[in-house]
Amino acid sequence: MASVPEKIENLKVEFDEKRILHLIGYKTKSMELKNPVKIMIAEETQKLDHLLHPVSIYTILDYEDTNRHPIFSDAEKVALCICTIGLELEAETKKLMSENEMLRALILDSLGSEAAEEVAIQSDRILAEKAREMNLWPSKRFSPGYRKWDIQEQRYVFSILPGESIGVRLTESCMMIPRKSVSFRINFYKDKELSTRKK
Amino acid sequence: MSKEDTLARMEKAIIEGNKQEAEALAREALEEKMDLLEVIEKGYVRGIQTVGDLWERGEYFLPELITSAECMKAAMSILQPELEKAQIQAQSKGKVVIGTVEGDIHDIGKNLVASMLAANGFNVIDLGADVNLERFVEKAEEENADFICLSALLTTTMLGQKRVIEVLKEKNLTPRIKVLVGGAPVNQKWADDIGADGYGENAMKAVKVAQNISKG
Repeated sequence: MASVPEKIENLKVEFDEKRILHLIGYKTKSMELKNPVKIMIAEETQKLDHLLHPVSIYTILDYEDTNRHPIFSDAEKVALCICTIGLELEAETKKLMSENEMLRALILDSLGSEAAEEVAIQSDRILAEKAREMNLWPSKRFSPGYRKWDIQEQRYVFSILPGESIGVRLTESCMMIPRKSVSFRINFYKDKELSTRKK
Repeated sequence: MSKEDTLARMEKAIIEGNKQEAEALAREALEEKMDLLEVIEKGYVRGIQTVGDLWERGEYFLPELITSAECMKAAMSILQPELEKAQIQAQSKGKVVIGTVEGDIHDIGKNLVASMLAANGFNVIDLGADVNLERFVEKAEEENADFICLSALLTTTMLGQKRVIEVLKEKNLTPRIKVLVGGAPVNQKWADDIGADGYGENAMKAVKVAQNISKG
């Protein structure tokens, strides 16, 4: 049976500066960051308090209640989750681009990507804990479009979870809007060995 | 100050990403009635070429490229009206029609490529995101473009890149119009498989690919 979809709110998003630098294109560890770029990152980070609206929605299904895609096989249960940081950051990024502030736009876009990933990580942790509470072993988190789970399977995720209730919709091309959204599954196994398989 | 000094300062302004200086020097060039083509080619363009070299040597990264491209754009926006008034054509490396393919609204990567191409002397026509596939071909024909650059960030939408090439072939517009592809799921193999003329792993590589094709 599928559990009633539940929301995860009040997530606190924190940033790893090194990851942000990597996302905006810095590839070496030893480089000295120029001051104007440092200042821009700090300024754009400050905007985040009112630009980020992190929220997730998830449900946990028995294997029999899934669409029995091969990637679910051997799992006792499957957790499906959609996470987002909302639309506001994207609107601000667009505004910066229209003002020819490309570097600021890139920084903000990267912060948004990192924030969406952070929301997914935190939601993943919460779901993994739920697996353990059920005496099951959680697998790693996998998203549609990765490994053997086709991007078209986004439609399945959205058929099970009401994405609109957290402001996320799916386009015909299986793109999530807001773009800074992540969907994923975690398989819950009885057997620890199975949970570590890369499926 | 000698002309050479001014040109060197223009080059330096672009290399250092100093927008105010790049703009001030462009205004100075107009006031001093300098040869604007010389100003562009021996001042600003040299700067952006050096920036490209620094990037290739791993000394500059994307943020520096963007900052320098923004400086270039700022200086050119001051010089351009005067060039037009005098009916002088700055040397173009080629005309590019660029956009993100239908069904895909990702645009930051495409905007970066557009910005880098413009800074490096290409005449760029940006159609935006979620662009109807036939529109790319129509616009390229209408503008007599040399390149179509297609961005796609999804495995579902990258098929649009293939479709554009098919339409170009149907209209016998290949190999005259060259197609460059890019985006997260795209790689060289995909570019080869669909018959694209080039693949840009990132904005600067896209510029290098376009430059190499332009050189023939």
